[in-house]
Amino acid sequence: MGLSTKTRHSKHFVPPKLQITSMMDMFTIILIFLLFSFSNKPETMSLQKDLKLPESTANLDYKENINLLLSQTSLELEGKVIGTVQNGRIIGLDPQNLKTSTLYERLRSTRESAGDLPGDDSTKPHILFLCDKRLPFKTINSVVKAAAMAGYPNFQFGVLKR
Amino acid sequence: MSKLGRHRATTEQQTDIDMVPVMNMFLVLIPFLLMSVSFFHIKAINTSVPMLAQSKAAGHEQIREKLTAIVEIEPTGFHVSAISDSVGAEELDKWDRRIVKEDKQEYPLNKLVAELNKMKARYPASDTLIIIPDGSVIYDTIIQAMDVARYYRNDSLFPNVVLSGKVG
Repeated sequence: MGLSTKTRHSKHFVPPKLQITSMMDMFTIILIFLLFSFSNKPETMSLQKDLKLPESTANLDYKENINLLLSQTSLELEGKVIGTVQNGRIIGLDPQNLKTSTLYERLRSTRESAGDLPGDDSTKPHILFLCDKRLPFKTINSVVKAAAMAGYPNFQFGVLKR
Repeated sequence: MSKLGRHRATTEQQTDIDMVPVMNMFLVLIPFLLMSVSFFHIKAINTSVPMLAQSKAAGHEQIREKLTAIVEIEPTGFHVSAISDSVGAEELDKWDRRIVKEDKQEYPLNKLVAELNKMKARYPASDTLIIIPDGSVIYDTIIQAMDVARYYRNDSLFPNVVLSGKVG
C-alpha cells in the first residue's frame, strides 16, 4: 500500500517553484540604500590604512579643494608623495626656510596657474587638510605655515563624524 | 463549459514573470556598490591661519563690544585670555586664567567650555577664537578643543577658529 502511494506520488511530481519575491524586495531595499548613500557624498577619496583621522561633532561637508594629507609616514599633495615624516619631522620641509620646500613651490604654482592670486577670495576654503590625529602640532605647523605662505590661508580640517 | 468560459480559460492563462535577469542584475550591482561604498563619513572644520591684513576703517558705524578669545593649549592645560579693540585692558585682564589638567592625560574641556560660555554671555558679538597649541600637543587635542569652542549645546560660541603657532 505504502509502496503504491510512493509510486503514484513520484509519477505526479511537480518541481517546486522558487519564491524569489521576498529576496527581490530585500535586494531592492539594499540597492536603494546604497544609491542614496552615494548621492550625498561630494567625492570619493582614498585614504591610507594607517591614517587615523580625529573624530569631531562637525557636520560640514567638505568641498572640492586641494587635498593635503599628512600621515605618520608621509606628506601627500593631491595624492602625490612630496615628503616623508621621520620622528615628527618632515624631510624636505625646513621650518626655518619654508619657501624652499616642495610643498610651497607646488602650491604656489597651482595658485598662479589657476590665476588665483593671493588676496582675492580669501574667505573661501582652499585646502582640505587630512592629518593623523597622533601627530604633534610641531609637525603640523610647518605644513600649515607653508600653505599659508603660498597663498592658501584657509583650511578645511578633515575629520570623522562622531 | 459555456463558450464564454472556454474563451476565458484559453486567453487568461497565468503567466509568471521571469525575474531571473533582474536578480542577476541586482547580484552584479550590489557587490559593486558595496565595494565602493564608504563607511566613514568625513566632515570638515573650517579654519584659517593668521595673515597680515590692512585694518578696516570703522567709519561712523557703531561697533558692538566684542572680544577675540585666545586659547593656548599647553602640556599642563589651557591658558585662556582675550584681546579686543573695543574693550579696555583692565576688563581684558579679568578673562586671563589658566585651566590646569587635573588628570595627567585628559584636558579639562568642560572647564574650557564654561569659561568660553561666560565670555560669550558677556560679549555676545564675539565670534572669533585663536587656538595656539604648544608644539608637543597632538592634533586630536586641537580638534577636541575646536569642537567645544565652536558650539555648545547647538548654540554657537566661537565659530570662527584661527589656528596659530606660538610666536617667540
